[in-house]
Amino acid sequence: MPSFENRRAIATTGPRVARPAGLVAGLAMLCAASVPGMAQEPIKIGSSVGLTGYAAVTDRAWRDGLLLAAEGLNAKGGALGRKFEIVVEDNKSEPQEAVVVYKKMIASDKVGSFNSGCVSAGTFAAAASVIAAELPMVLCSILPRKPEEQKWAYSFLPPPKFEIETRYQYLKEKTDIRKVGILHDPTPYGLLMTDIAAKAAAAFGLEVVGNESYKQDDADMSVQVGRMNGAGAGAIIKIGIGGSTVTVAKNIKQLGLDKMLLLGSTDDAAIFKPAAESIGERFMFVAPGVQMPDEISDAAAKAKTTEFLTAWSAKYPGRDGTVAARAWDSLYMMADAMKASNAAGGAALRDAFEKLPPTQGAGAAYAFTPDQHVGIVVNPFRMGAVKGDKIVAVK
Amino acid sequence: MTSPVTTSTDAAAPQARLTLVSALPALAAAALIAYALISSGYLVTVVGFAMIYAVFCLGLNFFMGYTGQASFGQNAFACLGGYGSAILTSDYGWEPLAALLATMTFSGVVAAIIGYPTLRLRGHTLAMATFALGLITYELSIELNGLTQGYMGFSGIPPLGLGKLKLATEKQQLVALVGIVLLGVWISSRLRHSRFGRALSAIAGSEKAAAALGIDVARYKLAAFVVASLYASAAGSLFAHFVGFISPEVFGAAMVVLPFTMLYLGGIGTTWGPVVGAIIVSLLPEVLRGLGLKEMQDIVYSVLLIAMLIYAPRGLAVLPALLQRARATPAKTV
Repeated sequence: MPSFENRRAIATTGPRVARPAGLVAGLAMLCAASVPGMAQEPIKIGSSVGLTGYAAVTDRAWRDGLLLAAEGLNAKGGALGRKFEIVVEDNKSEPQEAVVVYKKMIASDKVGSFNSGCVSAGTFAAAASVIAAELPMVLCSILPRKPEEQKWAYSFLPPPKFEIETRYQYLKEKTDIRKVGILHDPTPYGLLMTDIAAKAAAAFGLEVVGNESYKQDDADMSVQVGRMNGAGAGAIIKIGIGGSTVTVAKNIKQLGLDKMLLLGSTDDAAIFKPAAESIGERFMFVAPGVQMPDEISDAAAKAKTTEFLTAWSAKYPGRDGTVAARAWDSLYMMADAMKASNAAGGAALRDAFEKLPPTQGAGAAYAFTPDQHVGIVVNPFRMGAVKGDKIVAVK
Repeated sequence: MTSPVTTSTDAAAPQARLTLVSALPALAAAALIAYALISSGYLVTVVGFAMIYAVFCLGLNFFMGYTGQASFGQNAFACLGGYGSAILTSDYGWEPLAALLATMTFSGVVAAIIGYPTLRLRGHTLAMATFALGLITYELSIELNGLTQGYMGFSGIPPLGLGKLKLATEKQQLVALVGIVLLGVWISSRLRHSRFGRALSAIAGSEKAAAALGIDVARYKLAAFVVASLYASAAGSLFAHFVGFISPEVFGAAMVVLPFTMLYLGGIGTTWGPVVGAIIVSLLPEVLRGLGLKEMQDIVYSVLLIAMLIYAPRGLAVLPALLQRARATPAKTV
């Protein structure tokens, strides 16, 4: 029987097996009856992710990282003597669907907390319902906008300024380029980053001479690239993920702009190679340590990253783990907060998250406080480039 | 696009007797709503969305079902309604009901201005023009960042209410939505059986024949378009107040495709069809979710739509009447 994406995913320690549901349920009941510890209800965590639609690439990675972490945690006994059960629902990357699936998970699945993907609009739309149910939400997306909603939300998304500052720092220190163009998508995260990029440029001695937008399904951006080149930009700061980066690289090549640099956002490694094939070393991007594990110098960070990559590569060989690493970290931190608060949900869990000590994870280092609900406070990025089949740090 | 087969004639008979069978769709809808009201918040949400889409489809039914024209751009007016209500209530402190009525009026005026030149087109060209209308509004909702907050979306929209009466819970809102749908059905039914409705029916049959009968085709088409835009605008406003958040995606392609499915499934050109279709299409994903087949949703939609178009082109709403007729006619034996 095929395992559909939006079916309830019970993270198990063993390999995925076919589900003769009745047999498994019967065995589980027998075991539960004979072993007192196993009669405990699982800790249900809801996950609203865009398994289809524009966020599919990142959110599928988020889900897989989450399930992998649940497997790892369950193998160690779970938390509070209970196993983790991740209830995954596809929000189709749409706000309306996000509202439905959040409410379904609250009312029908009775989840005690959420750990959801990167669809910011979905988070915004559903936040009021989640807060009304007094459930903490851990997010791949940016935080909801109202302060009373932010109180219940914790973001594992790197603040946009880190992506921008890494690129600007590189231009300032390693090149003589002083004029840049910004090419961004219209997503909430993209707009936030664009605003920061426009404001931060002067601090690095840079001038933004072009600010162009594109849509994720645009098949050609040579007009925007040409305009920025005409305005004197020596580098394009590309804000946005997905195949559009490859399109821009191809447009730069087609227009014969053999000095133009393309500095991309953090993204799945699968995107980087075809972009680099078009313009070679002139394509660079911001990359976290998990994409360049050989470059990590901090011992604690290296150990965490290695632990994650070992599990990840075993299950998903050859697949990039950038987003999944943060999902993995987020669930491990939820487990820590549950142990600290002795609660699997509600206000106690929310408060415990704020009191967690600074934590080194596989994807970044995190520190949450009552005033800081965006956990990544140290820039996890370096400039990366493609060399052969590997991602290497730009020296 | 004229389409003589889209307006069913079964309910055109004003003396149609209200039997248990003919009232089946309405009874089923009422039972479902009653069940939603006594069950969990999740079903309330789904049925709430169904009611909002029912309002949208009731309007679209005027233009497509009663008048036999094609419009792919009604999401434009839902967008106007949604953002209008959001801006007026959140930024200017208007009462939700006043904002809803004001944006409906605004949408009606916009529909009249746009419809006047556009509705001179026919068939596919009219369909393309209305499609462009939806695209333009979608782009504007993204680009007018200062007004609409672009892709960030508009949050903090208050729930429906009037004065001190705030519909704070979803169940209260669902009751209000059901009331609005019933009002919409009543208006639709009254207009359909009026002189105006008969003129639309004549246009649906043949624009040339209608003109020969002295019907001002352009004026009636425009009126139907405006009525459809009023319903769409109301649906957009209701969505904003029901969810408390809107963003451009809400009024995107899904709001073009889904109502078509709802309309054809429920019964285009019938009074209750849009409501039946909206409920079924809204519930279908949840039924599939329960069966573990959610990923098959689009395939199921498509198969259902094709099957309906082939075997029951008038939709589910007319099935009871067809059954009744079949019973009344003795089976012929060979």
